[in-house]
Amino acid sequence: MQLTISDVFKRFGSIEALRGVNFDAEPGEFFALLGPSGAGKTTLLRIIAGIEQADRGRVLLDGRDVADIPVRARDTAMVFQTFALYPHLSTFENLAYPLREARIGSNEVKKRVGEIAEMLRLSHALSRKPGTLSGGEQQRCAIGRALIRRPRLLLLDEPLTNLDAKLRHDTRAEFKRLHRELRDTTIIYATPDQLEALSMGRRIGVLREGRIVQIGAPQRLYTEPLDEFVASLVGDPPINLIAATLADVGGNRTLQLPFVDIDAAPWEATLSQYPSGARFMVGVRPQAIAPAADAGEAAPGPEFPARVFLTEPLGDVTILNIVAGADQRLKMVLPQERAYGIAKDASFDCTLRNDEICLFAQETGMAIRRNWASPTT
Amino acid sequence: MSKNRTHVIGKSGWRRTLGAAVVSAIYFFPVYYILMTAFKTRPDALAMPIKFLFTPTMDNFYSVFVRADIQGGGGTDSGFSHYFFNSLFIGGTSVTLALIMGTAAAYGFSRFPLRGNDTYLFIILTTRMLPPIIAIIPIFVLFRVFGLSGSYTGIIALYTAFNLPFSIWMAKSFFDDLDRDIEDAARMDGSSEWRVFRKICLPQVYGGLAATFVFAVILTWNEFLFALMLTGTETRTVPVAIARTIGGQVGVDWGLMSAIETLFIIPVVLVTFVLQNQLLRGVTFGTIRK
Repeated sequence: MQLTISDVFKRFGSIEALRGVNFDAEPGEFFALLGPSGAGKTTLLRIIAGIEQADRGRVLLDGRDVADIPVRARDTAMVFQTFALYPHLSTFENLAYPLREARIGSNEVKKRVGEIAEMLRLSHALSRKPGTLSGGEQQRCAIGRALIRRPRLLLLDEPLTNLDAKLRHDTRAEFKRLHRELRDTTIIYATPDQLEALSMGRRIGVLREGRIVQIGAPQRLYTEPLDEFVASLVGDPPINLIAATLADVGGNRTLQLPFVDIDAAPWEATLSQYPSGARFMVGVRPQAIAPAADAGEAAPGPEFPARVFLTEPLGDVTILNIVAGADQRLKMVLPQERAYGIAKDASFDCTLRNDEICLFAQETGMAIRRNWASPTT
Repeated sequence: MSKNRTHVIGKSGWRRTLGAAVVSAIYFFPVYYILMTAFKTRPDALAMPIKFLFTPTMDNFYSVFVRADIQGGGGTDSGFSHYFFNSLFIGGTSVTLALIMGTAAAYGFSRFPLRGNDTYLFIILTTRMLPPIIAIIPIFVLFRVFGLSGSYTGIIALYTAFNLPFSIWMAKSFFDDLDRDIEDAARMDGSSEWRVFRKICLPQVYGGLAATFVFAVILTWNEFLFALMLTGTETRTVPVAIARTIGGQVGVDWGLMSAIETLFIIPVVLVTFVLQNQLLRGVTFGTIRK
């Protein structure tokens, strides 16, 4: 099912929850809505579902305005963040509920509940009430209840937020598998977790304070964020944001960071409009900082001295919290074997990989495009 | 949530157990005294100091239903079986009606609030703020005008009206506590508003409604003043009938009164016992979820 959201506004009292949201999701697409809590994700899903009415704007399903179509006729299912299982009904009856409401015969109900329970590994728990199920079982039950009617549009509202870390990991893979199986079902997946959005979404819409600030493929959001907000939302550990000033050094335009100068040439096409002394924010991924000794064959960037003040070993990689120059704190990521032996107060020279640096205007937070940047999709 | 924790009986230690036993004994003593007196002969019932050891007799229970003829030989129906029927019928009907109407009204107040919702709720409660002794005067006049005095319709309508505010307030608090997402889920699953109420909301508050039912039954069952003023011979309830056994040439027949009271307690104990599980859930509603 094709979903089109066109200029949707929603206000609750004095709070503007949605301020003109626009996006499309293609039939069968896995579209992730990424945004911090309070960005309007749930409100948007509820409007698509029809539980909430938009103040302005339109929701189109397969090109048809759904304003007058009642909730139950929209062929849409939703998995709630709280799962919202019917506490007084058994797992079987929870799964069967949408079918019973659609007046489907009891033999068919039995068959389809059996199938979906099999698929979601719930067969053992059919006679139990939701209160006695584990978190993972509750979640699968909620998904089963949403899928059993074979909806053409599936809305998922932070379905993994209430699960523990291990289960979340397993379920992410499960969702991808499920999406492959339900080829025709369009999935809108709301999450505050960039990892979920990046790993599952074919495209991601980043929502901020009721507006979509960027839509794109995961890789695109990572490498070419349209503003500081997207840059700091996507990527783990979060991007380092460093204040910088544009300067003329011996005829070369240079960005002066507190601890190092970098060549401004890659952004010159846009930067030419800015005078010397203009202020910017430079975004450097923790993965783009490396010990100078390792740079070797790769195009070496500018070097600067760094001192470690905290290490966070994660097993496969170690996050180093370093102080660059006088007092600029940065995070960098090293593979475990490389980080071995690096302790607090270790000092060494580091380098920035120039081609992975993002630049933002300090006032607006908007990205300064690189000379070679391709047009955004 | 500690729902799977098992409670070891006696874990609290004998001191606390003893303390609980003493307090319970003090609470239960009046009931025990009545039960005991119901099985005593008249001299035993009046004996001082209180006789804890005596030969039990069923005579009092017999005389609840059969009044001995002074002339001797046989006896006449005391009417008490009819009064018991009245109490059950009037109490049961009015509480059930109040609960049905109250639940519907509460759902409305909770889910489809009006402008000034809270004001209406307050006004509903004001009828319960008046002492019955004051309310009785206009009601008495009203009953006279409409010819309701002494009729089942009248007293049932009155008890229903007096149980309604309590039912509405209780039921509303239960509905307010429900998770709205669950209702939205039902709507998405294809339920109409009626089915959302009937299949999703109502079953979740059964426990609370059971608790409300029991409280209302107890209040109505024991109600005296309205029954005294507004029922007639045909519609007389047990509390009024008990009062009428007091006095006369023979003074208070404590044994008889205790026997009536013993019988009178039974239905309430039964209802409470049957609804026990629901009741516990209902009373703690909202405090143990999540």
